[in-house]
Amino acid sequence: MQNKNRIKSAFESMMFVFGDPLDVKTAAAAAGVERKEAEAYFHELVKEYEEAGRGIRVRETGGKFQFVSYEENFDYIRSICTPAKERRLSQAALEVLAIAAYKQPVTKSEIDAIRGIKSDRVIEGLIAKELIEDRGRSNAIGRPALYGTTGKFLTYFDLKDLGELPQLDDEELEDAIRSFGEPGEDEPPTAIPGQTTLDI
Amino acid sequence: MSYTIRLNKFEGPFDLLVYLIERAEMSIYDIQISIITRQYLDHIRRMEENDVAVGSEFMVLAATLIDLKSKMLLPRMTIEGGPAEDPRTDLTQKLLEYIRFKKAASALEEQRDFARYKLEKPQEDLLPYTGEPDVYLRMDMDHFIDAFKMFIHRKIKSDELRRMQSHIERERVSLESKVSFIHKLLRGAKNRLARFSDLLSKNTDRYDKVVTFIAILDMARKGELHAAQQGNFKEIEVRLTEGAD
Repeated sequence: MQNKNRIKSAFESMMFVFGDPLDVKTAAAAAGVERKEAEAYFHELVKEYEEAGRGIRVRETGGKFQFVSYEENFDYIRSICTPAKERRLSQAALEVLAIAAYKQPVTKSEIDAIRGIKSDRVIEGLIAKELIEDRGRSNAIGRPALYGTTGKFLTYFDLKDLGELPQLDDEELEDAIRSFGEPGEDEPPTAIPGQTTLDI
Repeated sequence: MSYTIRLNKFEGPFDLLVYLIERAEMSIYDIQISIITRQYLDHIRRMEENDVAVGSEFMVLAATLIDLKSKMLLPRMTIEGGPAEDPRTDLTQKLLEYIRFKKAASALEEQRDFARYKLEKPQEDLLPYTGEPDVYLRMDMDHFIDAFKMFIHRKIKSDELRRMQSHIERERVSLESKVSFIHKLLRGAKNRLARFSDLLSKNTDRYDKVVTFIAILDMARKGELHAAQQGNFKEIEVRLTEGAD
């Protein structure tokens, strides 16, 4: 294929028809250009849509690109249809997901050890949701299964790659811990524990 | 009728312990083990009272806390006389690690809250573009004629078959008509007596024999005839009873 604009327009058409995130490799092969070159074009497209303030944007996720609606237009979209209300992930699921994301590949027993509780069911649920996946076996005794996050995980959280995970900086952690109290205080307040109400 | 149940939901023993430490405004580096242990055990007791299944993991941490509590009472010294390691260090490290990921979890949740507003199209059904073109579209006139001939051929065959089936069907003697036939025959017979073979139709077959036999059984049951047989496979003799006309 000849010039750059022609290739970029081809990429747009391909993303439009494909729907799912389109692999740069696939796109590069179709256009007969190097992967690096294709990636550069995709990045240009991302920028162009953004700078032109379009209602459709190009999203990068795990080395793939796809069209998504501009997030600030969500309310307009909702006026013509009701996007299915999603069930939020449970606290337990988020914890396991966080451990899997930051420590991958990780075994079930490592996850259990950090959380202090068995996570079998939660892991199964996350696998079913395709947010984490089996990543082979560890060489530890018993050759336990290793888990890591999937491509869908990146799309689900709108991340380019794992490098975009929210940073867990230690300073912030220190702040969180300091807010608990200073060493030496020992008179505990006798507040009633925070309660949640469940209707059954 | 709905019940409202109030419960403290903790994701595990660490979650509970971190909550208690936070509530007590304690430093995680200087956990007041005896206070926290008491609160922790109180909480577990409360869970049990409310019929919340307390997982074994909660019990393990309870044991760890009690163990720590006892160790805290002992003077902390090594054999050489120097200060020994704080027995709480291991627990503190674990809790720090847990808090770290608890924070990461809520960071992820926030991240998702933003991601939710970007909508994507589901994977398109690409079959019309990539899959095998529909077989009918590939069909030329000859194929079409062959297919139609095949259809006609099958139709004729199945019609023929249906006609054959109607030929095979034959009129069957009903039990009722057989019973009245036997009645009539016996009334006209000498001593109102007859043998089984006399009761059969001229062109008898298995079906006729079975119906005849059932007719006899039915009549015998109603007391309309007596049936007798001298031995196995011998001829059955039937006699119409008195008054059964």
